[in-house]
Amino acid sequence: MSAAANSSADPRRPNKVVRYKPPSQERLDDPTPDYMNLLGMIFSMCGLMMKMKWCAWAAVYCAFISFTNSRSSEDTKQMLSSFMLSISAVVMSYLQNPQPMQPPW
Amino acid sequence: LVAIVEPQDEFAEFEDNEFAEFEHVIEDEEEGDFLSIETEDEEEEVLWEDVLDAEFDDGEADVQVEDDEDEFEQFDDEEFEGFDSERTGRKGRSQDPPDLKITNVPYHLRTSWENFYLEILMIGGLLAYAMNYVAGKTKNHKLASAWLTAHKDLLEANFTSVGDDGQGAEVQSGILMKESEHIYSIWCSGRVCCEGMLVEIKLLKRQDLVSVISRMMRPSADLVTVTVDLGVADMDSFVFAVGNKKTIGRLHKDMNDLSLFVPDKRPGEKYGLPSGMAILSESGEVTNAMIDNKMVRVLNNYAEMFDFLHISDQFSGPKVKDGDPQPATKMPDTKKTIIFAFNVPGQGRSSVKDVFSMEPMMKLVFHVLDKVSRFRLSKEAKTKADKTRLKVEESFLKMTHAQRQEAAQARREERRRAEKDRMMAEEDPDRQRKMEEREYRRDMKKKQPKVKQLKVKMG
Repeated sequence: MSAAANSSADPRRPNKVVRYKPPSQERLDDPTPDYMNLLGMIFSMCGLMMKMKWCAWAAVYCAFISFTNSRSSEDTKQMLSSFMLSISAVVMSYLQNPQPMQPPW
Repeated sequence: LVAIVEPQDEFAEFEDNEFAEFEHVIEDEEEGDFLSIETEDEEEEVLWEDVLDAEFDDGEADVQVEDDEDEFEQFDDEEFEGFDSERTGRKGRSQDPPDLKITNVPYHLRTSWENFYLEILMIGGLLAYAMNYVAGKTKNHKLASAWLTAHKDLLEANFTSVGDDGQGAEVQSGILMKESEHIYSIWCSGRVCCEGMLVEIKLLKRQDLVSVISRMMRPSADLVTVTVDLGVADMDSFVFAVGNKKTIGRLHKDMNDLSLFVPDKRPGEKYGLPSGMAILSESGEVTNAMIDNKMVRVLNNYAEMFDFLHISDQFSGPKVKDGDPQPATKMPDTKKTIIFAFNVPGQGRSSVKDVFSMEPMMKLVFHVLDKVSRFRLSKEAKTKADKTRLKVEESFLKMTHAQRQEAAQARREERRRAEKDRMMAEEDPDRQRKMEEREYRRDMKKKQPKVKQLKVKMG
């Protein structure tokens, strides 16, 4: 049943065009980017403070995961800051103690 | 002869004796200041530096030699044979050492690279994640644009503007809005009996390796949700939903309008629908009108593609979770909406071909849209529907009455406390007393029993 066979004439109404308004309240259907961001911050903090290398590496992973899941409307500054923090955690923990990493187990 | 202390050499001194670095640094500073203040012209400064350096270095060298021997006990002596003479040789002493330069490898790099296997593992993981990100992103983009190209001519036959993103002065078209790496949306507008239609293509998170792995355990499908906003006059007042049992059960619990206006869930078989489907409807009349033979045929042929259809004139989104801090004090604003949800066939491993096979679903959308705008309730069904809407509104007001009462009480409390604070803050006593009197009189008037003053005319 293509539109042409439709009984009424052409259904298009140029005068009824309504512009697109993005949904006002951003319904949080996907909490992962924010959780991952928070987790990344915590991991890089304890990677920096307690010099635990596996925390620093986990922070880099969390930052990357929150980057891939982020909404494009989110500002990139937050992504960049979490990446910088986690990479600095890794670099700092290797500068202070260049021994290879001990796994947490 | 200018003997400039080479930086590498100084570094070596620090290297061998940790504590020396502090004294060395302090002396340097003094020496530096002393030199710059004392002498003005260039030559004298160089001569002075030379004398100091030479004297300074000798002392330094001797001390150096003894330290070397104690600290590196485990290394045999031959290795350091050329070390001592090489240093003094450079100062122009008589014996000339074999010219071999031992670069001082810092202690920690001596461990071999194999010990860093965990780091290599981590970097490998990051690379794998990055590659999957790029691959997933392009696959998602390919699927979304395939959906748009597949349905472009059908949409353009029905809408004046297809793919407008709301920015810019006049209406654009053909824009696929990217909400995130896995959610794309298209807004179409300009059609009889509807305000606009938003198509949201919610693909799987192919760009996130973690979700790719978790999807291996429990496969799921890409979703296409079509939300049609209707004008006020475009639809009569009824609430209806049809879809597979599980989704309909969830909707009945979550959605405001469905839980308020639809009493029970009915199986779909009675109306010729496939077995896994259920119906939520306000009245039998609506169900008969909506489930016509075309709908039955399409749902039977494409059962796995169809998730649910939800038509409602009181649509106000999902129920506010009771964890919401401030409960809604006023009635949530409702609007007339039709929502379709389709699954992209292929259960997660869908390709462009699967997306192209979804065209009958969009035809179903336009079929239902025209039918809903033509459908009018019968007289008694109409009155019954309006009655239930009024009843719902009243129950809502009663329920929120208590909250509104509290809110008013809190506001009054707030005002009185502000008044008292202002009074306390007042400096000069007589104005303060006047305010207190006014406050007192106002309270007394309120406490006074409500008595009707009767004017009695004495005869």
